[in-house]
Formats: sequence, structure tokens, C-alpha cells
Amino acid sequence: MDATRVAGPGAIVRARGAAVTCAGTEREGHPLLEIVRVQRNERVAEGVGLLVLGAPRIAASVQPGQFVHLRVARGADFLLRRPFSVHGAADSRIEILYQVLGRGTRAMAELAQGEELDAIGPLGHGWEIQEGVSRALLVAGGLGAAPLGLLAERLAERGVAVSVAQGAPTAERLVARERFAGVARRVEVATDDGSAGERGFVTVVSERLLAEDRPDVVYVCGPEVMARAVTAQAATAGVPCQVSLERLMACGIGACLSCVVTTRDGRKRACVDGPVFDAEEVCWDGAGVPPRH
Amino acid sequence: MEQESRPVTSGPTSGVDLSVDLAGLSLRNPVMTASGTFASGREFADFVDLSRLGAIVTKGVSVQAWAGNDSPRIAETASGMLNSIGLQNPGVEAFVAKDLAWLATQDVPVVVNVSGHSVDEYVRVVGRLEREPGVAAYEVNISCPNVDEGGMAFGTACAPAAEVTRSVRAATKRPVIVKLSPNVTDIAEIARAVEAEGADAVSLINTLLGMSIDARTRRPRLARGVGGLSGPAIKPVALRMVWQVAAAVRVPVIGVGGIMTGEDAVEFILAGATAVQVGTANFVDPTASVRVVDGIAEYCREQGVTHVSDLIGALKS
Repeated sequence: MDATRVAGPGAIVRARGAAVTCAGTEREGHPLLEIVRVQRNERVAEGVGLLVLGAPRIAASVQPGQFVHLRVARGADFLLRRPFSVHGAADSRIEILYQVLGRGTRAMAELAQGEELDAIGPLGHGWEIQEGVSRALLVAGGLGAAPLGLLAERLAERGVAVSVAQGAPTAERLVARERFAGVARRVEVATDDGSAGERGFVTVVSERLLAEDRPDVVYVCGPEVMARAVTAQAATAGVPCQVSLERLMACGIGACLSCVVTTRDGRKRACVDGPVFDAEEVCWDGAGVPPRH
Repeated sequence: MEQESRPVTSGPTSGVDLSVDLAGLSLRNPVMTASGTFASGREFADFVDLSRLGAIVTKGVSVQAWAGNDSPRIAETASGMLNSIGLQNPGVEAFVAKDLAWLATQDVPVVVNVSGHSVDEYVRVVGRLEREPGVAAYEVNISCPNVDEGGMAFGTACAPAAEVTRSVRAATKRPVIVKLSPNVTDIAEIARAVEAEGADAVSLINTLLGMSIDARTRRPRLARGVGGLSGPAIKPVALRMVWQVAAAVRVPVIGVGGIMTGEDAVEFILAGATAVQVGTANFVDPTASVRVVDGIAEYCREQGVTHVSDLIGALKS
């Protein structure tokens, strides 16, 4: 067990270096601005929207786990862009799942078909898919499903057997459940009210799937308390784990140092060093509180 | 007409002389980047041609690495934002090795923003940088509201502001710019104090100390509780202070605070600024700095202004 744990993160670090070089070559280096067009914007659950954007350049180059930095409104009294994980990407379009939480996301819910926004992306360091992985467990809490959608698809395309543990307050808010069901070998859910799957936390489901499906890697995104619990489960099982973290962000390109995550190697930037981190490098006690958009 | 047929390299700024002289530095235009909003430029090189800027002002550099404050470090506010980053930086040695070495390959003057917990620390940073050729000037940060020791503590009273300036002045022949805090009763008094100790220019304003509270959680939105307000919300305060200071000192003034467009920059120049810095706008639009350059040129063409330096302090009463 110990040997696996030591080798796991090490392998991720090496793979990470390789992936950066590789991605850099593929998309000629660097993220730039793209004017994207709203194709669809619909409510998918209480307080949750799905935004489909025409974004040919981003759609062609985005890797699972990366994000786009959207300028949601101009002339409004709020200035900053909002970072969103890319949930899906195909045919010159990207999909964004968002929860209406504050001024930015309320304005986002008002966007109509045909409106244009400026986007920077794809940005950030996404999920690592290591060679030799044959079974993966994805653990999604609430809107944590967003960055895992594209990952599930890409894993399945590679022939990886995907298991998904998904949790949400209610059945309706198990967003992206169909997308997971379409590509995963197994999807197990938990809801706070018991309206679907087990009543309770997704961590009960993730612990069971970790034991039953014996994954080679765990990918997790959700509220920090849940993500932290899942990373502890993976560590106990000796399975390498990656976690996508959410932070308040201003520039999104590595300059402002707003979005720092405390790691064993000091403070890193969620926007360029993350948002996906090797779970073992994250120092949770210094990780801060969940943001409100 | 002749100017318009120039090669495209002169771009949208053709036909207008944007150059300014700032404390002995010849800048190709008055637009600098504000410290802490542009890192060391590398992150923005994907978006803008750095050689089109008047100068880059780096993130604050200290003797040792500083870890900065806990998260959350920012909070959005009406037409602005609060930050409490806390001058996180890797220390002067790492800065020289990584950032300054890279900046030296870029065709743009580099102003290094210097921070310290004590007078001695400011002097040691400058002392180390004196050995490096790629530094055009220093900007002495006596106005950061986000650190417990040093920072704004030096910038809110005349005596410590003068002491830091005097010590840094003695350590270098390069131009020394002192960045002033707006969190004072009389900013002109501080400006005069640093001018008297040999400051070659003053830049203002740094952020205004502010606070944001989440009524639902009943907690401050920033982990540190308070932070520095920036963005368009502070522009009227910045303009007023630049106007006051420009009237109070002989050295050039650099106007900073909420500049989003070329016209915003022109307002500061009219109030008496020789140059301007673009800050928070870089976070909203990574091309903002160059857009401000183009916007100033556009204003000048519209207004029949051939030299931007003719606008300095040209405010009508």
C-alpha cells in the first residue's frame, strides 16, 4: 500500500510535466481571448443553469478540468470576470454549468441566445490521465459535477472503466447525471433528502465504490469538506487522488495571487498551477473557505 | 497624412507624440502598469506587446520571500474590488533570477516596486538590485495596507516616509519613485516630505483601506478582515489627490486609481500627472494597458493634441 502511495503522486508529477509540454505544442502555447456567443442558456435544476457557448477555439483545445474566464456583464457595477469549468466540449461549442449565487451568476442567468461575451481560455491545469489507468472513480458533490463531465467522456474514449459517485441536495440537482450515465460503467448517487439513491452524503457512496471497483485513480470535485473527506478515503485505500479546487479569482492568468491554495510546496495559484491538484500536496487547513460568486 | 502612411508598427498611436520624460526616464508613452496587478509581465505577454508600454512596474519585492495573507484575499465591491494579498513574493534573489532575467529580454523599462518590514529591508532590496543592469527605477512602496509591519505604516506619517525615502535615496543613483497612501489626512504633506528627502517622483494613490461583510454569514469577506479598495470606485479620490499633490510638489506625479480607458488616463494627466499606472483594469481585461495607450492617442488626435506632454496639468479652472 505504501509503495503505491509513494509511487502514485510521483508518477503524477512526472506525467504533469509531460502533459504541459504536450498541450503547449498542440495549442501553440497560450490561452488568448475569444469572443464567444450564447447558443443556449437554460435552467436545468433549481438555481442551476446550463450555458452553451459557440467557442470554436476553446472547444478545440480545452482539456478536462480546465476553465474559462468569462466577462459576464459590461457596464454593470461589478467588474471582475467569473471562472467556470468547462463541462462539455464538442462541435465548436462548450458547455458551462453554473449555480446562481451572486451578482455575476444572476447576470449570467439573464444571458439570451446570440449575445456575445469575451472569454479567456482554456486556462489552468486540468485532470491528469495517466498511462496504464484502467479504472477510475469520479466523485462529484453538487456543482462539482461540472469539471468531471468532460473528464468522464475522455476517460471512456480511452477505454477506462469509469465509476461515478455523485451527491446533491435533491434528485433534481444531480446535474449531469445523464452525461455520466451515458459513458460510465456505474453511477451511484446520494441525496440529502433521499429523493434519489442513498439518503445522506456522497462520501458513503464513494467509500463503497472505492472498495468494490478498486479504481487506479480517484478524481474529486465538490464542497471542500466533502472533497477533503474523499481524498482521505483515497489515501487510506492507497489510491492516487486528484482534486479540483475552487477559489475566488481576479485575473485568472497567474498575476494577482488572489486564488492561492496552500500546498506542501508553499502557496500555489489555483488559476495556473490548478485548479486540479494532486490531493496529497494540498494542505487543507490553509485552504480557505468556499467562494460566493 | 504622412504619418498615416507609416508602417503598421506605429499602429493606432501614429501621428501623436506620446513620449514623456519622467524623472530622467524617457518613456515612449505615459502608461505604466500598477504594482501587483501585472506580476512581472510574463503572464500578460500572451495578450499584449509589452514593448508598447511606457514601463512595467513589478509586483512588490522584499528581501526574503513573503507568504502573503490567508484566503479569501479578494472581494468584489461596487465598481471595484478589495484585496488583501499581503505582498506575497518570492524574495529578491528569486525575483532577480526568474523575473528580472526574463524582463531584461523585453524591450520595456522596468521599475521594481520595493517593499520592506523595516527601513533596513528596503535598503537591502535596493542594494541587491543595484548589481543588476535591467532596472530603470525603483518604486518604494510605503503604502500597502495589507501587511502588519512596514507597508502603510511608513506612508501615513511624514517622519517615517521621509526616513525610508532618505535611506533608499542614499543607496542608489537610479530614479526613486515613492508610492503614496491615500489613507492620510493630508497627502500633499507626505508628498512634500518625500520630495524633500530626494524622491524623484511620487505615484498615487495606493488602495484605500476598506471592508466588505457578508450579511448572511455575518463574517468579513476577506480573511484579514480589511483590505485595499481599487478600481473605478476610487478614481474620483485619486484624481483629487493627484491634483492636490501636483500643486504641492515640483517632482513629477504618477496618477493611479481606477483607470480603465484612455480618457480616464487623460483626466489624470490634466490634473497634473506626468504618467499614469493601470492596475485593476488588467484583471478585467488583460489587454487594458495597451488599450489605454491607444485611447490616449485617440483622444489626442481628436483634440488636435500633437504632444501628450502638452496635457500635463492643463486643467482649466
